[in-house]
Amino acid sequence: MLKGLDLDVWPGELTVVLGANGSGKSTLLRCSVRLLEPDSGSVVLCGHELVGARGRALRDARRNAAMIFQQVLLVHRRSAVENVAYGTLGELTLRRSVSRRLFPAEVAERAHASLARVGLADAAWKRADTLSGGQAQRVAIARALCQRARIVLADEPVASLDPRAAEDVLVLLGEIARVEGLAVMVVLHQPELAFKYADRVVGIISGEIVFDAPPTSLDEDRVASLYQQEQR
Amino acid sequence: MTGITEAPPVTRTLVPPRPLRRRLTDLAIVVGGVALLGYAWHDTGASVSALISGIHNTLNLLARAVPPDLSVLGDSIRASILTFNTALLGTAGALVFSILLTPLAARNTTPHRVVYELARLVIGITRAIPDFVFALIFLVAVGLGPYSIVLAIAAHTIGVLGKLFAEAVEDMDMGPVDALRAAGASRTQVFVHGVLPGIAATLTGLTLYRLDTNLRSALYLGALGGGGLGFLLYNSLQLFQYKQATTELAVLLVMLLAVERVSLLVRQRIL
Repeated sequence: MLKGLDLDVWPGELTVVLGANGSGKSTLLRCSVRLLEPDSGSVVLCGHELVGARGRALRDARRNAAMIFQQVLLVHRRSAVENVAYGTLGELTLRRSVSRRLFPAEVAERAHASLARVGLADAAWKRADTLSGGQAQRVAIARALCQRARIVLADEPVASLDPRAAEDVLVLLGEIARVEGLAVMVVLHQPELAFKYADRVVGIISGEIVFDAPPTSLDEDRVASLYQQEQR
Repeated sequence: MTGITEAPPVTRTLVPPRPLRRRLTDLAIVVGGVALLGYAWHDTGASVSALISGIHNTLNLLARAVPPDLSVLGDSIRASILTFNTALLGTAGALVFSILLTPLAARNTTPHRVVYELARLVIGITRAIPDFVFALIFLVAVGLGPYSIVLAIAAHTIGVLGKLFAEAVEDMDMGPVDALRAAGASRTQVFVHGVLPGIAATLTGLTLYRLDTNLRSALYLGALGGGGLGFLLYNSLQLFQYKQATTELAVLLVMLLAVERVSLLVRQRIL
């Protein structure tokens, strides 16, 4: 799926990955945290080599990255703030995390602060399955903040949102890149949103990078070429 | 431009034509099934005339069973509580062990293929051996009394619940689980915070259903020497004390209906 792909993402930058269906965008993101096993090559996450890492080493490396999925993947029967606190599981011992009541107070404070940061302080105690799509996606972003991840990987995070909620989420992702200094990589299907919010746009065809440039130096024809192969 | 498509020939059946070989196979299956039922009828000594003559005996028994003998009401209630406690403890014990087995016995959460096969083996064996057989074993091992029935019920229920829980995990949406894994959560943390909440409703429903079933098991296993209402009922019938048996049956009915009602309320609240 991915062929000779070489990509670095940097703190403070919102990178948008564009490409047709099946071009390897989601595979790239899932390989980045080894939710998919790459056949060969190397994945270095904040200095940690992921390929070949196991157990504690793999979990420690993964803590540096937070994943936001197309379908909002919250634990439905838990509250928004509990879902946010789950971002810290990687740093908690089993004894402190075997029950929600045993989570340290500092984690609870951080979870509430993260929710407030995405504008959802009032929804802290709401069950995840009662939140709207936009709210749920913002909870996922708050989880990434609470996790103190250094990289946020978002796989089509606005695919199921209405245009207003989609813009809100992208504004928020841009802010956490520029204000919090995180590296944010977002897979999108909407070139117009990429032009509007990205600091850098990466185009992929059949698992290969065909351009990697700031949106100001890209023209619409070049972006449209990404989707011509699919139409044929 | 394409021409007008001709109408297909009129077909007057709703099923496609079947080849002769397939029809002969179907016929053989039907004949085989009927022969099997005939053999079962003969082997069990089933007879319509015995059923008709049995009605007279049943009516006679019913006449001797009323009015109920209320002198055994207190003992019946105490025995029914013992039967309920037997089922409750057996189900609770099985619940703990089957939850521990679940992440090992589900394909999508097991740490290793060998662990999966071993967990499935434990589930397969405990599920295949009926609680009646476990009761005979534990009555010898632990002695007469309700505790041996608790162990028998627990042993069999581990297999039943373990299988159902593992299947629930295999069918669940793994998205939230992936999200926790991606955040660096350990296998145990993922199970506690991602898997268990995802199957909590199913798990509760299945456990309550199993408690209901185990209550009936505790009743008939009690007659083996485990005590409780089953033991009282068995003794009353053996000693032709039909009026006492009526009281015991009434208590049994109330207990079963009460447990079913409470289960329903809990399920409605949780689901």
